[in-house]
Amino acid sequence: MTKLDVFESVFRSADKPVYTYGRVEIARVLIVTDLSDAEGAPLVGKVRSFLSALGENLQWQHLGGADFGSVGSLLEQVERAAPHLIVTYRHLHSDAWQWPHGLGEYLDVLTQATDIPVLILPHPDAERALPHTVANTDCVMAITDHLTADARLVDYALRFTAPSGTCWLTHIESQQQFDRFLAAVEKIPEIETDDVRQLVEAQLLKEPRDYIESCRKGIEAQGVPVKIEAIVAMGDRVEEYCRLVEDQRVDLLVLNTLDGDQLAMHGQAYPLAARLRGIPLLML
Amino acid sequence: MTNGAETAHSASESAIAVLSSSVQSAGHEVSIGVTLLFAGLLVSMILCLAFEEKLNAKKSVIVGAFAVALLLLSASLGLLPFSEMDLHVGDTDIHLPVYIPAIDWGVIFIILGSSLFVDVTAKSGLFTWIALRLTKASKGDPLILLIAYGSMTVVFSAVLNNVTAMIIVGSLTGVSLRRLGITDKLLGFLLIEALLTNVGGLLTLISSVPNIIIGNAAGISFATFFVKAAPYVTVATAVTIWMGAKIFGIRRLAGAEEQLEAVRLVAGFDENDGIDSPLRFWVSGVSLVGFIAVIASASIPDTILNDLGMGYVAISFAVFALLQHKATVDRFYREIDWDLLAFFAALFIVINVMEHARVLHELGRLLAPILEMGDSTGPAVLLFASAVASSVTDNIPLAAMLAKILGGLDLSADSPYWWAVIFGANLGGNITPIGSASTLVAVTIIHKSEIKLSFVDFVKRAVPFAMVQLAIAVGYLWIAL
Repeated sequence: MTKLDVFESVFRSADKPVYTYGRVEIARVLIVTDLSDAEGAPLVGKVRSFLSALGENLQWQHLGGADFGSVGSLLEQVERAAPHLIVTYRHLHSDAWQWPHGLGEYLDVLTQATDIPVLILPHPDAERALPHTVANTDCVMAITDHLTADARLVDYALRFTAPSGTCWLTHIESQQQFDRFLAAVEKIPEIETDDVRQLVEAQLLKEPRDYIESCRKGIEAQGVPVKIEAIVAMGDRVEEYCRLVEDQRVDLLVLNTLDGDQLAMHGQAYPLAARLRGIPLLML
Repeated sequence: MTNGAETAHSASESAIAVLSSSVQSAGHEVSIGVTLLFAGLLVSMILCLAFEEKLNAKKSVIVGAFAVALLLLSASLGLLPFSEMDLHVGDTDIHLPVYIPAIDWGVIFIILGSSLFVDVTAKSGLFTWIALRLTKASKGDPLILLIAYGSMTVVFSAVLNNVTAMIIVGSLTGVSLRRLGITDKLLGFLLIEALLTNVGGLLTLISSVPNIIIGNAAGISFATFFVKAAPYVTVATAVTIWMGAKIFGIRRLAGAEEQLEAVRLVAGFDENDGIDSPLRFWVSGVSLVGFIAVIASASIPDTILNDLGMGYVAISFAVFALLQHKATVDRFYREIDWDLLAFFAALFIVINVMEHARVLHELGRLLAPILEMGDSTGPAVLLFASAVASSVTDNIPLAAMLAKILGGLDLSADSPYWWAVIFGANLGGNITPIGSASTLVAVTIIHKSEIKLSFVDFVKRAVPFAMVQLAIAVGYLWIAL
């Protein structure tokens, strides 16, 4: 490595994205179910209570099962309502909720065809919801495989966290991908494997840690009444998040629908959305 | 010989003195044909150095090959007394091959010690901390950034060396201008910084190798060198930055909104990111100040440091700095520019051979017409001639040869001819991209940034700056030196 590379690396490392707090404005919420208005009323009430952190002056609208019969008509209704947030659950107009797989065709398209954040609730009939969930948002966890410079994700997580609640900013670096990369490095005699293992791992974890620190400073500077906690580690993402959700009694998980390559529902979003059926997920 | 640096070379000089009688006798018997043969080989070596890239060979190998061949040739012709080399140290006689005392070990130790010290200090994050603090202090304003980076280049070139200065400031420039979204100014910034490395290289006796060689030969102390060079460096820096800002259209930000955005963007730089250990950081900062102070005080006559010399000071500070990394020093040994050190060693041998082959004597005769021009025109002509020569080939052999030649003329330490060579050898590097290692580094960064800049483009852009710097130098020679 030449000295030029050394100093370029040092300065690139010192050039860190800075988090700037921006309050997310949510005025209209659309609740989409496959129930009638009467059947859906208890759920609507529960959601309003669950999302009390969003404030009192929200405009709520319920789109019942009779209001749409196809994905196309649902998208039209959504466009007409122009909500800031959609609340729904998996497998609308289907009994596939009985099997713990997939999201169902409506939700699958909804999360990809619109830019509107979608809050996915545990299915009301499936009884898979963890005991503490859909009660409040005292504990919200933002998750990503590329937290760095993701201010929107952090802003949404903060917006949904109840006052005096805890907002977890987390980053789990995939151990599997890292091991695969190292397996290739181990076969290249010109590269010192131990150096790569230590340095790359340290750098991969340093960047989100630095960004979380920047978030903490920005949030404190704005006086947002939320406690910030951080978890940055290597591991199996899905397994780690499943464990964290239970250990920390997380009320809401916030994650990006688009991954780093802007591929909808790829990366970790889909497996997490399909697997974590016991708590609400906010898909951005 | 009055300064500490010169005293540092006392061992090798003693050796040379002991050997001098046989050497002189060998020198007097040289025929003009042999001198011409060796002169031809010297020209060949300089040409090989000029086409170093084309030959795909390192300097040390080129000069080393010539040194080996020249030693063999001079041995076969009886120019050097290979069998009569004895160094008398007290009651002990040490036998030395003739090429050992030919090397100026004082210079080698200054370069080795200071480069090791600088590498360890750089590892502490001190220089990147300074660079990033300056970047943030500029608030991202392009013109203030240019002034800050220009000044930093000069100071780093003076304290470190011009290549390290260019690498630090150049790599930061790339990152920060990209961050600010003004990459269209990158060429201007890098070019001005490259030109300022050679101006900054004039500031102190240890800022560049020609300074060390000429300063030692002339007997110029560290303090005297600084006092005499500083006014020129200040003026040349200010003029270069002013010209650069005009030519490349680097202006201040106009609107309050733009200024706020620039402040926000540079606020993302974390100057503490590269600091692994705060203790090492502070130790390095204090050591750097101490290094400059002690190097300067080594010039004071009749002191122990003066006796030990600058090479001793540099090595001592390097060893002290390495103590902080005592378990991993091999990492720093790998970073040493062994090519440069081997190049110097071989070069001193070549010059020594040339001296005995009377090539330097003949070159000195060629300089006679310049010296006869008087103290006004003579130094000016020598300055420009040195600059032109340095622009196309390495300035170190030039400085080493001229140091030998001028040293043989019994010039006083304050003769303007010494300064003419110092200014010419340093500033000549600003005329072409191959004129100095730091301009070559700048061109590398420019090309890495995918900016097209040919050899001719560089010359077209750099020559106006170089001419102004040389003109100021001539004026300064006339007025102040």
